[in-house]
Amino acid sequence: MRKLLNDLFNHRIRALIKKEFNQIRRDRRLAISLILPPVVQLTLFGFALSAAVTNVRLGVVDDSRSPESRELIATLTESKSFRLAGYYFSVDQLGAAVSRGNVDAGIVVPYDYAKDLARERPTTVQFLLNAMNANTATISKAYAQGVIRSYNNGLRNQGIHPRIEPVAGSDLSRRGQVQLRPAFLYNPGLVDSWFIVTGVFGLLLILNSSLVSSAAMVREREAGTIEQLLMSPATTSEIIIAKITPLFFLLCMMMLVAIGVLKLAFGVPFHGNVLFLLFGGSLCILSGISIGTVIATFSKSAQQAQLTSFFINPPLSSLSGALNPIEAMPKWLQPLTVLNPIHHFATIVRGSTLKGSGFMDLWPNFLGLLLFTIVLVSLSIWRFRKQLS
Amino acid sequence: MRRIFAQTRKELTQIVRDWRTLALALVLPVVLLLLMSTAISLTVNDLPIVVQDFDDSSASHDFIDSVRASITLHVVSWPVNKTAEEALASNVARAVMIIPVHFGRDMARGTNSPVQLLVDASDANTAKLVSGYANQIASAYNQQTAGGMEAGPVKAAIRLWYNPGLSSKKFYGPGVFVLGLSMFPPLLAALAMAKEGEQKTILQVYVSSISAHEFLLGKIIAFMAVALAECLVMSSLLFTYFGLSFAGDPTPFLIATILYAFCVASFGTMVGVTIPNQAAALQAVALGGFLLVFLLSGLMFPIENIPAGLRWISNFIWGRYYIEIVRDALLQGGGWPAVWFKVLIVGTIGAIFYGIGWRGMRRMQVKA
Repeated sequence: MRKLLNDLFNHRIRALIKKEFNQIRRDRRLAISLILPPVVQLTLFGFALSAAVTNVRLGVVDDSRSPESRELIATLTESKSFRLAGYYFSVDQLGAAVSRGNVDAGIVVPYDYAKDLARERPTTVQFLLNAMNANTATISKAYAQGVIRSYNNGLRNQGIHPRIEPVAGSDLSRRGQVQLRPAFLYNPGLVDSWFIVTGVFGLLLILNSSLVSSAAMVREREAGTIEQLLMSPATTSEIIIAKITPLFFLLCMMMLVAIGVLKLAFGVPFHGNVLFLLFGGSLCILSGISIGTVIATFSKSAQQAQLTSFFINPPLSSLSGALNPIEAMPKWLQPLTVLNPIHHFATIVRGSTLKGSGFMDLWPNFLGLLLFTIVLVSLSIWRFRKQLS
Repeated sequence: MRRIFAQTRKELTQIVRDWRTLALALVLPVVLLLLMSTAISLTVNDLPIVVQDFDDSSASHDFIDSVRASITLHVVSWPVNKTAEEALASNVARAVMIIPVHFGRDMARGTNSPVQLLVDASDANTAKLVSGYANQIASAYNQQTAGGMEAGPVKAAIRLWYNPGLSSKKFYGPGVFVLGLSMFPPLLAALAMAKEGEQKTILQVYVSSISAHEFLLGKIIAFMAVALAECLVMSSLLFTYFGLSFAGDPTPFLIATILYAFCVASFGTMVGVTIPNQAAALQAVALGGFLLVFLLSGLMFPIENIPAGLRWISNFIWGRYYIEIVRDALLQGGGWPAVWFKVLIVGTIGAIFYGIGWRGMRRMQVKA
């Protein structure tokens, strides 16, 4: 083992690594751009991207003007999901308000609402939803139905409208009801930001490590100093290893900072093993670095490398299931997430923080990440070597 | 005037020569539009759910059948000797439904039977959707078995306006369209402008007879042309693949699009003038064009969800107003009365960007 390490880190590599470290130390902008943007991006994404549906502005047309109708409206608006935005006198006015965007939803209570209730007749209230945003509409629709359901139960239990109980004989015909008792595991408070920040974490690692490494790989060529390196007795793999090592350490620092932000700013619980997180993170960084190296071998300047990464990073991040559920993707794209390092890392992060999963649950993701890293690193070394020769 | 167009022509020639920039300008927006609007939707189908039936009676089978019949939930099999939590921990299912023993007996006796639903809430939004759907299935099942009599006295007739099919493509399509427009034209404009500063070709401009206004306008018109070409390509995709059409008066959209093209082109040029370094300019545009527009303009999630400490920033984000104009034109159809001041704001912000850019250029003297 020791001999292997000695072989791997012989004096040439050590000297090269030292050179890279010195270069990075002198470039203060690089160090800042590695620490600052991740923190800003994590906080911005975590706070700004929230799919929660609260304070839907509700416009009301109350043709009944009765205590019963006011009670229904009060039940709706006292929940956090709906907020009373105004009363309107006619459905047309309400419709105009929805189309102007003054209100997001509207409820129309018919004039015979109280009468129907008193007479034990079913009555219908109309509910208008601006469904431009399908997600918001689906959730607020479920909210509205839930509120009305509990309002109905309240009406029954109040006993204001007594039911005539059927005689004992026919009681058998009444079937029991299914009562669904949902329990939310892992995140009982349904904190939205936990899902977002754990996903953005993986995006950041891949994005930053690919950008930084492509810039570092290309710089030598841009400045024309690559020939000097080639003249030296160091082999290409040695040059690459020496280039990767300091970047890897820097990016690991960034990962630790990001984990600190997760823990301190967002209060993400760490139920599982932090070692899984660190191990997964380092694999993720390595695969990011190798993506950057491959990009660098296809470009002549830092400019081109950055533009090329515009073509690779958006698909990689939007098809990873890091920011949105995988089930929302088209069917034929879903299996492709197996090839996506961000997907595997997001699963590992969520498993080892929120869910507290063990190695038995996460090994497929570790395997996927490991394979991806090995393939990419060897691809990048091969490309680099081919380019140098 | 002639000098402005000469400048524009020179700029366009430079763009066409570099295939990478040309692809960035015209192909990538389309790819992004297709990719993101299909991928970022939050409406989900076929969420895997495990059902553990401890009763195994005809009543429980009946209930499971109604779960199986739903489009949104997809029942997956799970060995009996494993616990429910394992299904969630290993990401096999999003939720587990547990039907207790005596479920059938309770139902027949007329007593209520509790069914537990364990939801993986590490994705809070999807968890809410799952429990909402399961609730709807249960109440529909209850109504059906009770013969409709047990339905509550108040019924809600829910009408979905503007997007009755709840297609998220129609919501995200216009959003990504705006994102593409706010990202690529300013990126190219900033790079082109910063390149002049970096390679010192700006000196040639300084010694020529062109004035600062003419030079800036020439550049901006070139990138407006890029933006409008991009807009043409992407909107034809919106009208065909996304199945959108003008819901009302198209004139606010057309005028706002021209103003927005001016706005983003001036933004890019302004960044290029103030930061004459290509890499730094690229970062600045990525921050302004992508991050701010993506996060703070209501593109994916409603602006009201942003905490108040950050929300005020979105009042200054140019993309926010244009997104509202585009959505209004394609989905709501409110026309001029609904959007006139947003069109005005887009124009004003563009003019401010132009003003700042001109301040940096006006003396026509070497800096940097």
